Amino acid sequence: MSPLARVAPLDRILLPVHRWVWNDFDRRVRKLLAFAEVESDGGRDILRAAEVTPDALLRRLYLEHAIDELHHGDLFRQRGAALLRTRSTRLRTLFNGTPLPGGHGLDDLSIQDEPDHRLLAFLHVAEKAAAGRFTIYRDLVDDDPQTRAIFEEILRDEVFHMNYTYTQLARVMPRSYRWQVWRARASRLWKRYLRVAAGIASVVGNAVLTIMYFILLPPFAWMARRAERREPVGWTPISRTRDDSPTGQY
Amino acid sequence: MKVLGISAHYHDSAAALLVDGVPVCAVQEERLSRHKNDAAFPAAAIEWCLNHAALEPADLDAVVFYERSMLKFERILTCALRAFPRSWRSFPNAMKNSLGEKVWARGIISSHLGVPRDKILFTQHHESHAAAAFLTAPTRRAAILTADGVGEWATLTVGHGERRRDGRTDITLLREIRFPHSLGMLYSTFTAYLGFAVNEDEYKVMGLAAYGRPTLTGQVGKLIRRTPDGAFALVPEYFEYQTTASRSYSSRFVELFGPPRNPYDPIDLETADGRRFADCAASVQRVLEDTLVDIARALHQETGLSDLCFGGGVALNGVANARILAESGFERLFVPPAPGDAGCAVGAALYADRIYLGNPDRDVPDHPFWGPEVDAKELARAAREDDQDVIELEDAAMIERVADELAADRVIGWMDGATEFGPRALGHRSILAAPHSHEMRDRLNRDIKYREEFRPFAPVVPIEAADTYFELPPGGARLARFMSGVFPVRPEWRARLAAITHIDGSARLQALEREMAPRLHALLEAYGRRSGIPVLLNTSFNLSGEPIVTRALEGYSTFRRCGIDVLVAGPTLVSKRATVRARPLKEDVAWWSGSLAGSGGV
Ligand SMILES: [Fe+2]
Ligand SMILES: [Fe+2]
Ligand SMILES: [Fe+2]
Repeated sequence: MSPLARVAPLDRILLPVHRWVWNDFDRRVRKLLAFAEVESDGGRDILRAAEVTPDALLRRLYLEHAIDELHHGDLFRQRGAALLRTRSTRLRTLFNGTPLPGGHGLDDLSIQDEPDHRLLAFLHVAEKAAAGRFTIYRDLVDDDPQTRAIFEEILRDEVFHMNYTYTQLARVMPRSYRWQVWRARASRLWKRYLRVAAGIASVVGNAVLTIMYFILLPPFAWMARRAERREPVGWTPISRTRDDSPTGQY
Repeated sequence: MKVLGISAHYHDSAAALLVDGVPVCAVQEERLSRHKNDAAFPAAAIEWCLNHAALEPADLDAVVFYERSMLKFERILTCALRAFPRSWRSFPNAMKNSLGEKVWARGIISSHLGVPRDKILFTQHHESHAAAAFLTAPTRRAAILTADGVGEWATLTVGHGERRRDGRTDITLLREIRFPHSLGMLYSTFTAYLGFAVNEDEYKVMGLAAYGRPTLTGQVGKLIRRTPDGAFALVPEYFEYQTTASRSYSSRFVELFGPPRNPYDPIDLETADGRRFADCAASVQRVLEDTLVDIARALHQETGLSDLCFGGGVALNGVANARILAESGFERLFVPPAPGDAGCAVGAALYADRIYLGNPDRDVPDHPFWGPEVDAKELARAAREDDQDVIELEDAAMIERVADELAADRVIGWMDGATEFGPRALGHRSILAAPHSHEMRDRLNRDIKYREEFRPFAPVVPIEAADTYFELPPGGARLARFMSGVFPVRPEWRARLAAITHIDGSARLQALEREMAPRLHALLEAYGRRSGIPVLLNTSFNLSGEPIVTRALEGYSTFRRCGIDVLVAGPTLVSKRATVRARPLKEDVAWWSGSLAGSGGV
């Protein structure tokens, strides 16, 4: 197996897009900070795998792997932050978060419920893809030796991750490891398709809701604002007669 | 009678189980799923609770959800309408977010658990907070104050409760302050402005406040005005959380306070900006305290009661709690170990049990340890497989050994019994260390917690000795039972308690009663015999961004990733061996790769 990561054909086609992303300062910073989150999240997932696997060797490997990924997260975060400090950017507006709660996204897989061979196959495919991507990115940030050095360092680890997951897969599933890798690849594609489909559905949903917003809501909005003006500020007494039905959601 | 309480969907989900009116277990979903602040439906927490009590869902007499989900949806929709047309961007996501799952609480619960729909009950969010605060406290009559970001509409309520001699329970909430007027949201808005994670890092604002001076209270006063009836109202022009789901402060807010902090920049108090941020924190902290003290004082005068039970996320603010205790006129202040939304799982179950179902009053055990037990054998097995140094010791020998390690400046990962319910590590999942030096504080920040250095560590001290080292007002030891108050370290001890003394001379201490955690209490005494000071630094057993550890193996994987020297679970003690390191393992595995390459890999 070649220690060098291979670039996927799709990524080769998308090279101009990657270049467009990495050439812009804001987008570069945003990418680095996004990678930081992805790597840290991945690290925590693999940590989880280390905590639940019954296989002692895998536990040690997962643990090292998780430490690497968490370290990658830190490297990306520090670099993103350092770049951010060199210039004031439009990104500042992104930091105005809200205390109102959000929701959960699509999770890739639930570590607890996956047997080791499935996880190893999944990790192998994911690491291979990541290594391919990082090879491209490393070459695209030639103007920025420090960021390039980070990609170099991370790439070395990713190649190790890619290799050990494969060899361990071969150990735990000596007869069917190739098939496992193909299955993981197929399921990755399927998940990617689902994500795209969910993304499209979300865009369509947003469009429909936005149209409804402007068509249906104005009269109610007018009433809501009138009611708001009449609402007293300060204490509101809690009436004993308020609907206290134990089974009511209202 | 078996009642399951559930808190879910917004922040920090949890489940709790009552059997015959007494909690038997409770756990936050994040402690099992290992996703920090997991807000998903707490399927794992529910499953664990039922397994723990050997129950099937069909055995449950009631399942109680901690808020009225439709009422909450009404608030979200109303706010979107009021903000028309500015809310057009956030409207689609707000609707999808609510309509996807959150509104259908009854359906989700019944489909997850298969219980009939008429067994599913709902309390109001602040009723859950009130019950969690009042019914877990060792008091029979008390005033009740709840304050958080927002529940359905209420953001702050006052009332009173009584556990009557005839066994009946009364909880009466008299008045509420309604969204968007919210102390929790005010504080969270500053949390966002100061570059911290909202709904999570509010305590960092409190920590930062000690470095600043409240010079900006005038400006904060422009954001929040007091109403003639003794309540308060936020001035909407300075906020955006009421109109959009993605921002909390407006451009007028920025005009008033200057540019917000970039969260990736460290806070440098040597710079003007760093001092400005500290002053902002100090000022909003001061305004929060003043407002709470005024409301609590009025409540004291109105009810004439001597006890106050305080619940809701705002009750995590230990500095404010100490001021309420000192200035409001109440003699005792009870804050539960989980005053936030997770604690509502217990609160909702208790409320339904006593008020809806009319079950007789029962005392609730006065401790925070309601989660899964640690399995020491699991640790011993894993550590031996990894060639770590493992020894097993009897209780007394273990205490002496750990005290020796602490005295030699080693950092201990300490797991004992059932996990804490709530955000504080109170002695069952703690990282312990000597509290004496700045070096130890810095080492913990750098090598173990990987976190900002302006945050103080907390001490734990036997309750008998608390007064020697800390200036506790009357009622202070009670507040310190679950680390809910910040109090001054006695000046003569500050130099020898440098790792736990904050810049303003204060500490958020835990005053430990022997019965609550006997092994930790014994350890404090043993350490006191060595150092002369029976105080330890006690910080939660997790790395930054991760939930507190639950199982032994989570403790172990944390131990392996950071500078903890010794790991203890029950009778098992693991010492870190320097030689077990990453590279040899990688080389080891390279052999595998090589052998496989010969057979033709990918
Ligand atoms: Fe990585
Ligand atoms: Fe990797
Ligand atoms: Fe709440």
